[in-house]
Amino acid sequence: MKHLFSLLVIGLLFSMTSCLEIIDDLSLNGDGSGMFKYTVNMSSSKVKINSYLALDSLDGKKVPSISEITNHIDELIDELCTQEGISNVTFDSDYNNFVFKLKLDFASIDELEEAIKAIVRKRSKGRVDQELDHEWLTYSESSLNRSIPRMNFERTNNLKADEIADLKKGMYTSITRFESEVASFDNESAIVAKNKKAVMVRANPYSLIRQTNLLDNTIYLEESAENE
Amino acid sequence: MKLLITTTFLVAFGSVFAQKSENLLPKDAVSVFSIDNVNLLQKISLDDLVKYEFMEEVQQELFDGSTSGKTLKDAGIDFEQRINFFQGSGKRFRVTGFTFGIENRDQLFEVFDDFHAIESDYSGVDFYESYFNRIAIRGNSAVLFRVQGHSDHVEHVTDSIWYARGNDYPWYEYQYDEMILESLQPEDAVFDGNETIENTNSPSENNLPQADEDPTQKTYYELRDSVELDYHLHCVKRLCDELFLRNESLMLEDERFAEQLTHSADGIFYLDLERSVGNERDMKFLYTYYPNFSVKSEELYAGSIVLGDMKILDNAIELDLDVEYGEKLGPIYNELTDTKFDKHVLKYIHKDNNAYFTQNVNLRKAYEEAYDVVMPILSNSERSIAASAIMIELMDALVDKDAVFGVYQGSMFGAYNGLQTVKTKKIIFDYDEETFEYSEIEVEAEEDMPVFVMGFTTKRGDVPEKVLNRLSKIYSKMTNMEDYWLLEDVLLGAAPMYFIIKNDLFIMTNDMDLATNHPNGYGSEAIGKREAKKARKSGALYGHVDAGKALQNLPRGIFSDYENEMIDVIRGKSGTMEVTSTKSVETSTSFKLAYQFEGEYENSGTYFLDLINSLYVVTK
Repeated sequence: MKHLFSLLVIGLLFSMTSCLEIIDDLSLNGDGSGMFKYTVNMSSSKVKINSYLALDSLDGKKVPSISEITNHIDELIDELCTQEGISNVTFDSDYNNFVFKLKLDFASIDELEEAIKAIVRKRSKGRVDQELDHEWLTYSESSLNRSIPRMNFERTNNLKADEIADLKKGMYTSITRFESEVASFDNESAIVAKNKKAVMVRANPYSLIRQTNLLDNTIYLEESAENE
Repeated sequence: MKLLITTTFLVAFGSVFAQKSENLLPKDAVSVFSIDNVNLLQKISLDDLVKYEFMEEVQQELFDGSTSGKTLKDAGIDFEQRINFFQGSGKRFRVTGFTFGIENRDQLFEVFDDFHAIESDYSGVDFYESYFNRIAIRGNSAVLFRVQGHSDHVEHVTDSIWYARGNDYPWYEYQYDEMILESLQPEDAVFDGNETIENTNSPSENNLPQADEDPTQKTYYELRDSVELDYHLHCVKRLCDELFLRNESLMLEDERFAEQLTHSADGIFYLDLERSVGNERDMKFLYTYYPNFSVKSEELYAGSIVLGDMKILDNAIELDLDVEYGEKLGPIYNELTDTKFDKHVLKYIHKDNNAYFTQNVNLRKAYEEAYDVVMPILSNSERSIAASAIMIELMDALVDKDAVFGVYQGSMFGAYNGLQTVKTKKIIFDYDEETFEYSEIEVEAEEDMPVFVMGFTTKRGDVPEKVLNRLSKIYSKMTNMEDYWLLEDVLLGAAPMYFIIKNDLFIMTNDMDLATNHPNGYGSEAIGKREAKKARKSGALYGHVDAGKALQNLPRGIFSDYENEMIDVIRGKSGTMEVTSTKSVETSTSFKLAYQFEGEYENSGTYFLDLINSLYVVTK
């Protein structure tokens, strides 16, 4: 899942390091199926983004038009739809406020991860194959382990001071929801919802880039009555 | 006595006929940047020099490591002679390069190490050649040049030979035949998904035009390469014949250029507008289809030329440009600038601006004059052009010119007031602590935005007023605020824009402070009397840039690394750029660009080259 972050958003981070908000929302059912929602909110930088989009190039690189961005996203969505175990894929885009929302259902965590890896593998043309061997999501009946891919982060070494300041203003929010209550979790920064069925971890994109394990978490669930 | 006369004669002869680098400028040069104060450039590294765009045509071979860490002084350049950068474009070829003096030929070829000596057909001239460029040395002066034949001429010659040899149209796509055949197949010939289809879209040998089955015959591409090479050699020979056999150079061909070189300036600029316009690539299309119209249009520019002097003063560089017109264009420009300055515009330029300009022209008078000049050209041109003259005559007769030029008479102004924080809206997500479910909320936000004001003089403010009032009734985002009109969320999808019609001006701005607090002008916050006087006294154009402030605010992202390097030199330092002009007279308009900088500068030669480069980019 975090690879989608890497693929879709890190590019944006580098090209327009404006104030950025990302919500990564994973809802897991007891049978391992679930729903994944991924929201990118750049509305607080829409003036900057619109001004960039008005340019032909930025930092010597071509600036894509809205239609090119839309086409690219449509291709990714089409590919996602064809992946095994993935269904009900929807993508809402608001180019007035630059808010983008991806939503999909998955049959199992493994199939979700494999679907994303398949797309990344195809798009990255072998550049991140080593990272693709790593498992970002592992789920057993009583725990979920999440981690974040490490690829591409070396690119951030050249960030300029104003880009770093912009990244620090952003926020990455990772939410994991369960049908049963959460017993405990490893990440000390995480908080649990009052209903005890959701865990949230937040970090600004700059910190996340510097310390890629900030969002890593292992969440342990209460034993359900049936299991008992 | 006899000895004295002989000596005097020899000295005089020597000074008149001493070899000078400018004598090697080809007569095809259309624009020239000639630097006299070459000493100024001694410290400039060759690596920096070849990065300038005016060096782009010759830089590939120079910027290959052999120039690394070396300056012009290390390259054996004679600083007693001028360096003259030139470019020119004939009807069928383009020539670029520079001429210079040589003090040490060995040092020169240590830097230009890709060049090797070749046989010379010209007495007293040594030739050196690299893959693209040539250096010709006569005496202690040299010209480094590159000649490129226009590709359309090369293709024209190639096509002629190709067809004369009995070949078919070279670009025929044989796959069309297959597509036609496929379309004629019966409908039940359904595609089997398991079949593999040959990819015919990728480039393949089959798509290359073939001469015939005989492998000894050239393909179209091979033939074109041969023609290109032969034509290149022909162009080089023609240029060298002119320079070294017939002694035809720009110096001797254009006395205006020769006269300009006598000015006591650190550099001079020359642009022959007549040849520049005639050689424009777009004109070739017109020449092909509308030869009469093209010739007459080109005649408009006859005698038009831009000449300039560049001077380096203490912490300042000045450029004086004279745009000289021929007898047809002159009266049009004369009428164009025959108007009074609209002093109302000065009320809307804030004293703390980063940059502003005023343009003072009379389109009505220019239109009347241009009508008399252009209509005979259109009427006597090819039929389709002549037909368009009827439309123009009808428009002239039926349209209310008083109303049109009353709304927009041509005088305008603009100001850039730097970055200001403007109110926008953004989306935030509100989380429910119970479940971490979230919902979107739109809230007020602030973002930095470049703030500008633009406006033009209008004697018919009632016309745009009617339009804005009507729009405010039918368009929800447009509101009549009495003193101004507000259009919401129009700029960059977020910020509002304001329209003001006051003082015979139509003004557009995104500066809320101007619209809400100063719709009648900034008053005491407007630019001071001294600056206002400069703008008033300038003819058609006045421009002022506070280089320190304006460049400080420019976002780095929109520039390349190299452009940022150049801008960084000025960033953080105070200085101004000012453009002034005279009113046009029958024959010319004069412009003056003054770049005044403050503080310590390592090498003012780079500023000089920046100015030259700017001129090159504008005029190429």
